Amino acid sequence: MLAMIPMELFDRFLFAFTIGSHIILVTMSITLIVLISAAEFIGIRKANDYYLALSRRLTRVFVVSFGVGTASGIVMAVELVNLFPGFMTLVSETGVISLFYAEVFAFFLETIALVIYVYYRDAFRGKYTHWVISAFVAAGTISSAVFITMVNSWMNSPNGFNIAEYLSTGTVASIRPWAPFLTPTTLAQIAHVITTTIFTGGMLIGAYFALRYLRTSDPDEKIFFRNGLKLTGAISIVFIVLSGLTGSHEMGTLLVNQPLKYAALDLNVLPGSGMPERLFGYLVNGQFTGGIEVPNIQSLLAQFETGITTLPGLSQFPQSDWPPLWTHITFDIMVTGGLLLGLFLFIYFVLWAAKKKPYQLKLILYGQGILGAASLVVYELGWITDEVGRQPWIVYNVMRVSTAANYTTSLLIPGFFIVVFYIFLIPVTFYFFSRVFNGRPLKADLKPGPDDGGVNY
Amino acid sequence: MGSVLLLLFWKSAKSRVLEYIIPIWEVTGTFGAFWVVITDFAFPSILIPAAKLYAVGLMLFLILFVARNSSIVFGEYIIKRKWLDDKKLYQLYSVSTIALGLIALTIFSSIISGAGVSIGSGYFSISHWILSPGSIPFLLGALVIGVGLSPVFYDLKPFMRISIPLTVTGVLISVLSFYLYSPQLITLWLAIPAILTILVPVLYSYEKTAGIVANKFVFSIVASVILFSLHPLVYPSAFGKTLPVDSITTGGAMGQAFLVITLVGSILLAVMIFIYMVAVRRTALGKKQAA
Repeated sequence: MLAMIPMELFDRFLFAFTIGSHIILVTMSITLIVLISAAEFIGIRKANDYYLALSRRLTRVFVVSFGVGTASGIVMAVELVNLFPGFMTLVSETGVISLFYAEVFAFFLETIALVIYVYYRDAFRGKYTHWVISAFVAAGTISSAVFITMVNSWMNSPNGFNIAEYLSTGTVASIRPWAPFLTPTTLAQIAHVITTTIFTGGMLIGAYFALRYLRTSDPDEKIFFRNGLKLTGAISIVFIVLSGLTGSHEMGTLLVNQPLKYAALDLNVLPGSGMPERLFGYLVNGQFTGGIEVPNIQSLLAQFETGITTLPGLSQFPQSDWPPLWTHITFDIMVTGGLLLGLFLFIYFVLWAAKKKPYQLKLILYGQGILGAASLVVYELGWITDEVGRQPWIVYNVMRVSTAANYTTSLLIPGFFIVVFYIFLIPVTFYFFSRVFNGRPLKADLKPGPDDGGVNY
Repeated sequence: MGSVLLLLFWKSAKSRVLEYIIPIWEVTGTFGAFWVVITDFAFPSILIPAAKLYAVGLMLFLILFVARNSSIVFGEYIIKRKWLDDKKLYQLYSVSTIALGLIALTIFSSIISGAGVSIGSGYFSISHWILSPGSIPFLLGALVIGVGLSPVFYDLKPFMRISIPLTVTGVLISVLSFYLYSPQLITLWLAIPAILTILVPVLYSYEKTAGIVANKFVFSIVASVILFSLHPLVYPSAFGKTLPVDSITTGGAMGQAFLVITLVGSILLAVMIFIYMVAVRRTALGKKQAA
C-alpha cells in the first residue's frame, strides 16, 4: 500500500508542512527579540518597570520559541538532505553550502549571547551592557534568517557555477563560492522577508496583548498590556509601510529575474503593454474570467518599479514549465490582505496622532485580535506564493523538483510521525508561550530578585 | 552523562546536573546543527549516499531532537499542574537524549566498522548491524564510559567510588568491540584514548587533582584529545577500511571558502565563548561575595 503513494508528492507535502509550521516559530523568535530589546531599552531609558517586566516576560517566551525553533530548524536541514538529495548535492557542490555554514555561526552568536542574556543577567554592571547583549542575540537571530533567505534567493536566481555546462553535462564547474551570497534577487528578498516577518510577529503578539488587555481588570496589568500594545502598535505601523515598499520592489525584481513566475502571478497569458491589474479570477481556455480587471495599473506599477513597459506572458514559455496558476489567487489574497492590514494600521496611526489612544479603544482592540491571526495567514500565503510560484523548479531553470526528490518509500512512516508530531507541537508550544508569559504574578516581574534568571529549580 | 544521572539519581544529582545543563542545552543543540552542516560541506560527495543509508535513523533522530529541546525548555519554566511537573519533563529530556546518543553511536559504529552498511546499494540494515559481533559491545562500552565519567564532569563526590571501575570496564568493552569488528582496528594509537579516559577518574579520586580534572574547560580539552586520538579508526579509510576518506573531501575553490568561513566563524565563536566565560566567572564571584 505504501508503494502506491507518489513519493515526489509526499516529499513536497512533508517539506511544505514542516516549513509552514517552522516559519511560525521563526516569526515569533525574530519579532520577540526585537520587542525584548526595544522594551528593555525603553525601560532603562524611562526607568519604567512595566517595560522592563515586559522584556523579562518576553525573554522567557523567546527561550521556549528558540528551543523548539532550533530543533525544528534542524528538522528542516536534515529533511532537505533526506527529501531532496539531488538539490542538496548541487548545494553542497556549490557555494550555497557556505550560506548554511555561515548560518550556523550566526546561530552560535544568537545562542551564546542568549545564554549570557538570560542566565547571567547580573554579570555586567552597566545598565546598558545587558541591553547590548540583547542586540547580539538579535544580530544572531536576524543573521540566521538572512542567510537562509539567501539560500531561497539562490533557488530563485541561481548563480556561482557554469549553469550551461551543468545543464548539458550534469557537471558542476567554474565554481565561485561567494557568488550565492549576492544573487540578483537577494537584497530584495531579504528586505521583504525581514520586514514582513517582523510585521507579522508584531501583529500576532499585539493581538494577544489586545485580548489580554480587554480581559483584565487589574490596574497593573492594564498598564502592562497597554505598554505592550504601544510597542507592538508602533512596530506594526513602521513595518507594514516597509513591507509594502519592499513588496513592490520584490515584484519588480521578480519581473526582471523570473518573468514566468511574474506572468503566472498576474495571469498574463500574452505578453504586451498597457496590462490591467487582475484581481482574483482564473483562466478558461486562455481567457480571464471570474475576477476584476483594473485597466493599465499593472503596467504602470511595473514601469514605475523597473522601467519595463512590455510585460511577459505565459505563452512565451513552454506549458510544462508553468507553475500552478492558483498562485494568482494566493498572491491576490496576500496583497489584498496586506492592504486591509495597512488600512487598519493607518486608522490606528491617525487615532494615535490625534491622541485618541487607539490601544485603549475596544473596537480597535477586537480588530487587532482578529487581524493578528489574519496577518499570519497573509504571511503564510506569501511564502506559498513564492515557493509554489517557482514550481516545477526547485532551482529556477536549473533543477526540477522531480529530479531532486527522494523516491525511497522508507521515508513514509517517519515522515508521517513528523507530521503528527508537528500537529501536536505547534499548539503545545503556543500554550507554553502563554503559560510561561503568565507563569508568575506581574508584581514579581515588576520587582525581580537579583538572581532572577527564570530557571525552575 | 547528565541524562543517566537524572534518570537514576534524580534527587541527589538534580541540582548539579541541571545547573550545568540548563544554561547550555541550546549551545549543545547548535553544535548538532553545526555537525550536520560541516559534514555537508566537508564531504559533499558522500552526502547523498549517507542520507540514503541513514534516512530512517536521521528521521528518528529529528523527532527525538525536537522532543529533547521541547521537554527541557518546558521543564525549565513549567509551573506544576496536575500530573505534569518538571521532573517528568526532565525525564523525557533524559530519555530523548539517551535515545539520540544511541542513534548517533549506531551511526558512528557503522562508519567505523561498516557493520550493516551496503554502500553500493545505499542500504543500512539494522538487523545486520545488531548481528555484527562488535555492535552491542560498542554501545555498551560507550554508555558505561559515559556513566563512569559523569561524576567527574558534574563534580559529584558521592558517586566517586563507581567512577573508576565503570570507566575501566567501559574502556575494556570498547576495545573488545573494536577487536570484534576487526582486529585491524586495534593499533597502538588506541592506547592514548584508553589511558587518558582511565586517567580522568583516577585523577578525580585524588584530592589535589580533583578540582583540576573536574574543571569544565580542562575536561573538555581532555575529551577533545581523546576523540581526536580515535581518528585512526576512520582515517585514512572509513566503513571498515573500505572507503578512502581523502577521496570524498571537498577541495579547490570550495575548500578555500570552507577554510575562510571556518576561520572567521571560529574567531566569532571564540569571542562569544570568552564573553560567556567572563559572565560565568563574574556571576560566580558575585554569588560568593553575597554569601
